[in-house]
Amino acid sequence: MSQPSLQTSRDYARESAEMVDTTKNTLIYTTWGRKTAKPVNPNVAAKLVSKAKRPLLIVGSEIVGNEQLTEKAIGIGIKGVPIAATGHSITAFNGKAVNAKYINVHALAHYLGDENWKGLDGKGSYDMIVFLGHKKYYLDQVLSGFKNFTDLKTIAIERHFMQNATLSFGNLRPEVHVEALDEFIENL
Amino acid sequence: MSKISTGHFSIEDLENVQITIGKIVGAIEEKVAEESDMGPTAKPSVSALRDWDHQLLTRYQPVYTPQCDQCCYCTFGKCDLGGNKEGACGINLAAHQSREFLLRVITGAAAHSGHGRHLLHYLIERHGRDHPLDVGPSNLLAPNVQMVTGIKPKTLGDLEAAIEYVEEQLTQLLATIHMGQEGAAIDFESKAMHGGMLDHVGMEISDLAQISCLGMPKSDPEAPLAEIGMGCIDATKPMLLAIGHNVAGVANMIDYMHENNLSDKIELGGLCCTAIDMTRYQMDKGGTPHAKVVGTLAKELKMIRSGIPDVIVVDEQCVRADVLNEAKRLSIPVITTNEKIMYGLRNRSKDKADDIIEDLASGKEAGALILDLDLLGEVAPRLVMKVAPLRKEKGVKALPTDEELGTLAAKCVYCGACEMVCPNNLEIMDAMKACVEGDLTKFEILHDHCVACGRCDQDCPKGIPVLDVIEKASQKVISQEKGMMRAGRGQISDPEIRQEGVNLVMGTTPGIIALVGCSNYPEGTKDLYKLAEEMLKRNYIMVTSGCSAMDLGMYKDEDGKTLYERYPAKFLGGNLINVGSCVSNSHITGTAIKVAAIFAQRNITGNYEEIADYIMNRIGAVGVAWGAYSQKAASIATGCNRMGIPVVVGPHGSKYRRALIGKPYEEEHWKLYDARNGEDLPIPASPEFLLTTVESVEELMPILAKNCIRPSDNNMGRMIKLTHYIELSQKYLGQMPEDWHRFVRTETDLPLAKREELLKMLEKDHGWEIDWKKKKIMSGPRMKSDVSAQPTNLKRLCKGEC
Repeated sequence: MSQPSLQTSRDYARESAEMVDTTKNTLIYTTWGRKTAKPVNPNVAAKLVSKAKRPLLIVGSEIVGNEQLTEKAIGIGIKGVPIAATGHSITAFNGKAVNAKYINVHALAHYLGDENWKGLDGKGSYDMIVFLGHKKYYLDQVLSGFKNFTDLKTIAIERHFMQNATLSFGNLRPEVHVEALDEFIENL
Repeated sequence: MSKISTGHFSIEDLENVQITIGKIVGAIEEKVAEESDMGPTAKPSVSALRDWDHQLLTRYQPVYTPQCDQCCYCTFGKCDLGGNKEGACGINLAAHQSREFLLRVITGAAAHSGHGRHLLHYLIERHGRDHPLDVGPSNLLAPNVQMVTGIKPKTLGDLEAAIEYVEEQLTQLLATIHMGQEGAAIDFESKAMHGGMLDHVGMEISDLAQISCLGMPKSDPEAPLAEIGMGCIDATKPMLLAIGHNVAGVANMIDYMHENNLSDKIELGGLCCTAIDMTRYQMDKGGTPHAKVVGTLAKELKMIRSGIPDVIVVDEQCVRADVLNEAKRLSIPVITTNEKIMYGLRNRSKDKADDIIEDLASGKEAGALILDLDLLGEVAPRLVMKVAPLRKEKGVKALPTDEELGTLAAKCVYCGACEMVCPNNLEIMDAMKACVEGDLTKFEILHDHCVACGRCDQDCPKGIPVLDVIEKASQKVISQEKGMMRAGRGQISDPEIRQEGVNLVMGTTPGIIALVGCSNYPEGTKDLYKLAEEMLKRNYIMVTSGCSAMDLGMYKDEDGKTLYERYPAKFLGGNLINVGSCVSNSHITGTAIKVAAIFAQRNITGNYEEIADYIMNRIGAVGVAWGAYSQKAASIATGCNRMGIPVVVGPHGSKYRRALIGKPYEEEHWKLYDARNGEDLPIPASPEFLLTTVESVEELMPILAKNCIRPSDNNMGRMIKLTHYIELSQKYLGQMPEDWHRFVRTETDLPLAKREELLKMLEKDHGWEIDWKKKKIMSGPRMKSDVSAQPTNLKRLCKGEC
């Protein structure tokens, strides 16, 4: 069986001189069910986040030690999106000018489904959840819970296609992922 | 017919009379019933502890993360339950997920109990029903069995009634999986709790039987050290590899090798829990273990593909389904020894050893099923002596050569297929690129993160045997994988509980961290070492078993010593205890039961709810199954959960589909009764969960410290626990934990060195009133500090309620 190759920066450059297309490769290894994420481009994702009343960026430990991803996560935080730092990702935000708080992702997922939860800042729960820096298999599970048991809109801006999100980037090479995040931040 | 009670009796003047006693029906139950200490729930039915479960599940609510949104159980379906819809039978996704979780739990419980039944049957045949249980210097021999069933076993035969109870209940639970029927997720959850409880009974029966009959260490802190690691295997000798979880057959192989002076001539190694139990066999009087431990399930395929084993013997449980196919490619005969795994092989149990050896050595047959374990004992060692020179002569080629390695790596087109199918999404493409340039370091790092599942091989469009490439490229690090593991010591003895129980209940020993479970780690094996070393330095009691016990022994400090060589194995703070194999996990819950029985003098017999209530509110213990992958890990964890012991699993554990997590912000869930007067007793939100996942080992450490906090902590104990929680948060998360103040009842709970600083924070950040002259907290805490309080979840235990 032939496998579609991951798109390279050069492919993207050929297709579009200005924008990164993150919707091409949505190959998955196994299925969860009928409902699958819609692939989304960075500018569209950013506009949806900008329009949300209470967006939240959930950042996982995979950013630790990855300077580029850390920089992008901070970039999103600087644009005013509050950050839930899961795992030990908070170590990348300590001392930075962002609104980041540590919380365990499984507990957070539980609280996010609870209308009575007051949020990380006591101002109420959230309506748009964005994910970055997570292990693929772990996030697949967390998103599966959101998809099936809450009305929350979720956007995965990871380098893997996250089929259980509402919207997700497709599978990307690391360098293309960074470009896509830049474009996401620009459009916030 | 006259009725004969148990015990000794004599019949005089009778000759040539044969008396056959098949089974003394009901005698044990009668004897137990006569005793006055029988609690209210001996041999509980599926619903007997439902109220307790519902109480737990109200505070710790199920959080579902489905692996599949559909149900395909019956021919109505498959049904799409996405969005928590109902299927054709009326079940919704939440209930179906809880049913799926129950299925995992009872599968795990059945694996352990099936193992227990097999061992018990086999050992009774060899040693007789009256063979005494001998597990060390303890009067309380079987805490789980006694607490759950009310039976106080003294002999092998006494365990039969307990295993029968487990089997009957597992059948009842399995019946509830059938389509339709139960519609409430919470009741599937209660049933899962029941299955987990049964699992600990089944495990305990297995280990008590084998410790008593196979000369395994008996609560021995000086249990010998065994060599561990792929690098410790001497490939120059004929190698016999045993894989699985049932040591009965391997014990016979060891005996045969000993009796025939083959012990030094054959390299005997093991994978998974059989390996651990091989190192325990006949070690109750010390000595050098008769076998080496290769490692965990993650090493199974790598060890086979190394081509080093000359014969493979498998028994049951964590054994790959493709062992025969993989071995066949390398001319390694496989012997299956247990009805659970037969691989389609011809049953040779009644054949002559010579015939079997001839057929397997010649390659006429790829393997054999031998259920007669005495026959196995002879065949396997003789076969390996015969096959090894033949394989050498034949020049069986396993891994690629150095030249082939470069060629294979160069075939990679970087499509990413291997990374997508890899359970850990390892960066294989980068390693392939580096390999082409002659840099093997990336593969060497991948080797430890790789669980050797082989999915990458199957999806590579260029046909690259990716796993072989990883293994070949990592030969240097594999050859250095040489460590030491303390052979499983079995139970914690009664005298040890007497010595340490008070420190645990008061909190002055900050907690027990049980590092158990399998090898599906998120970031390789070293995280276990980091975790254990940190917590040992902080005086936690580290208890370990199974795959975790193995992987802990793989790392050394700068002096070349493993943790097992650096830390003693007594039941004291700062000690590292390997209880044994998977079934030895029952000794961890058994320890908590023993604290209730011995330290607190609670009656444990058939008294599950009261003892679980005691454990939950007083013993700061947390289980960690960092690499949990199997159904057995789910059942072990759930058995702990019903006892109120929280368990953390690594991120792969999210695939168990459900967690049990509390909401600290809902204050109504964080209060108990004070048994002295029945009044409400606010408690800290700890444990915060009964089962949850954690993302990284850095996040894990402060979580463990926090979740060892219990309502019964005295001020010194709370101060110690709070100190560790704060320090570990600062060390690994770089900040003070946000909720530290919630655990403060009085100024004497505060870490001494930081007391003034923390009092200032309580005043400034949380509005607490401080009397600065006396350095005393005047108002603010939600809880009072009262060491005489008797925290309980059970209203019936309060004064005036009975």
